[in-house]
Amino acid sequence: MTDPLALDPVLPPRERSERSARRWNEDLPHDERYEHFEAHVLGGGKIEPNDWMPDEYRSAVLRFVEMHANSELMGVLPEREWIMRAPTLRRKLALTSKVQDEVGHAQLLYRVAEDLGKPREAMFDDLLAGKTKFHNVFHYPTRTWADIGVIAWLVDAAAIVAQQALRDSSYGPYSRTMQKICWEESVHIMHGRDVVVTLANGTTAQREMLQEALDRWWGPLMQMHGPRSDRSKDRDLHWRIKARTSEELRQEFLTIYVPRILELGLTIPDPELAYDKAAGEWRYADPDWNELRTVVTNHGPKSQERLEFRRLNREATAWVRAAVLAEPKAAA
Amino acid sequence: MTATTIASALDAPTRTALAGFLLAMADDEFVIGFSDSEWTGIAPILEEDVAMSSIAQDELGHARALYELLAGLLDDGRDADALAYDREPEAYRHARLLDHGRGDWAMTIARRFLYDTADAARLASIGAGWPPLAELVAKIRREERYHAMHALAWVDRLARAGGEARARFVAALDELARDAPSVLATPGGEAALLEAGILGRSMAAAFDAWRSDVAGVLRPLMTPLALEPAADAARHRAAPSDDFRWLWGEFTSVRRSEPGATW
Repeated sequence: MTDPLALDPVLPPRERSERSARRWNEDLPHDERYEHFEAHVLGGGKIEPNDWMPDEYRSAVLRFVEMHANSELMGVLPEREWIMRAPTLRRKLALTSKVQDEVGHAQLLYRVAEDLGKPREAMFDDLLAGKTKFHNVFHYPTRTWADIGVIAWLVDAAAIVAQQALRDSSYGPYSRTMQKICWEESVHIMHGRDVVVTLANGTTAQREMLQEALDRWWGPLMQMHGPRSDRSKDRDLHWRIKARTSEELRQEFLTIYVPRILELGLTIPDPELAYDKAAGEWRYADPDWNELRTVVTNHGPKSQERLEFRRLNREATAWVRAAVLAEPKAAA
Repeated sequence: MTATTIASALDAPTRTALAGFLLAMADDEFVIGFSDSEWTGIAPILEEDVAMSSIAQDELGHARALYELLAGLLDDGRDADALAYDREPEAYRHARLLDHGRGDWAMTIARRFLYDTADAARLASIGAGWPPLAELVAKIRREERYHAMHALAWVDRLARAGGEARARFVAALDELARDAPSVLATPGGEAALLEAGILGRSMAAAFDAWRSDVAGVLRPLMTPLALEPAADAARHRAAPSDDFRWLWGEFTSVRRSEPGATW
């Protein structure tokens, strides 16, 4: 039975009245609606699913959220291989819980995307057909237990730098979802850091395993936020779907994490990496943007294998979804 | 008061019987937790993926708590991780029911249903004779209620779905029915456990209760399962399958790569 409280309006009265006021423009001509929309978004306002929005905004948010959802979904594959191999009960529980969180994030994000008009099954179809993308870091293999530490600590850290900025997104449901996701990601970083610190303080073989993992992941990490872009030409920034440029995110990641990596006695595999005090920013070897383009168009080392794994798995479990979505029959 | 100090009140045969019983329960939870966690990231529906991962974590948490009790009882320097991981495959004492590979979703649900109901009957058999176990069991039973609700909802759904889903589910139950009673096989030294009040009823009595629970659930859905009591725990909790040997190879691989290291 539904709890009667659950049916009460969730938003406090002030926000409710603002929301209904934003149905402002149902009778206005398109250009005037557009102006209202722009003024609202540029003034820091949020857009809700039932608000009027230009088609370009709707498809830009959908593209952004769908890729994020795809990344969470594909991002579970490199790590779940190691759930079986986690070397202690505590690590096993932490890793299962972390991967579970990522699946939960995928579910939340696909729901945000569904509300924008694209059914979940259509999003899976497009992902598996290679029509939509997922983040570069999830196209690489996980070779050792140290990868599990480096992914949870540094890949999640690089992601959270971007995700924290998305809590201010102009699209209301996305910004609220990001609040929950960021909180959970911060727990993942603590788990990753603990795995990494344990290895760094461990045997010679464990330290070597950790350095080798960092050497492999550094390139993809530096590519992860994408090439420098022109702020004035980025429509996602203009509409505040996202809040910060690729370079701003990369600089923040370096500022926070370079000292922490060095503190552990690890070597960062970029001889050009240095902080330029005069310019107030990090200098680094130009990331391999060709590699990024190759990888995110599904030509990375594990792209096809992981997509094929998802296709086979989806096929093998289709009968379960059919059973759940069908009307129950009388028992024989 | 620790398990070690409380255990010192028990006589030697009772301690041995209790250690065997704890190891069997812990291994059951450990192995089913592993099988369930194989679905993390690839379950048929995202919502179900999250649910199955939670169940797997509960089972692994129970396994850890039981291994910790056992570590206190044995007091031989091994901790819960050493007990869980550092044994040869032949030394695991999980029930034959859990010795099958993960299988498809129908096998997973059939196994969960049979195990959850049998485990509930086992947990209900534990008396107050050894307080550390009685306290832990009270906590475990609170969580297991939700696992049972989850399993029963799926049993109903698959059995009533007809077609491929029902056929797969019925086949999975048939395949597992022979091994299901192994969860409630009579443990070594059961008389001592009953005498000390660690068990409030025999596993044979638990088996009877479980068999009627299972029949009650399945009666409206299908022809009943033939469930025969498993008398001897030694036979029903030994000689692991190739599926388990594969699982063992996986879950010990990182640990064996650098023996004695901290992870």
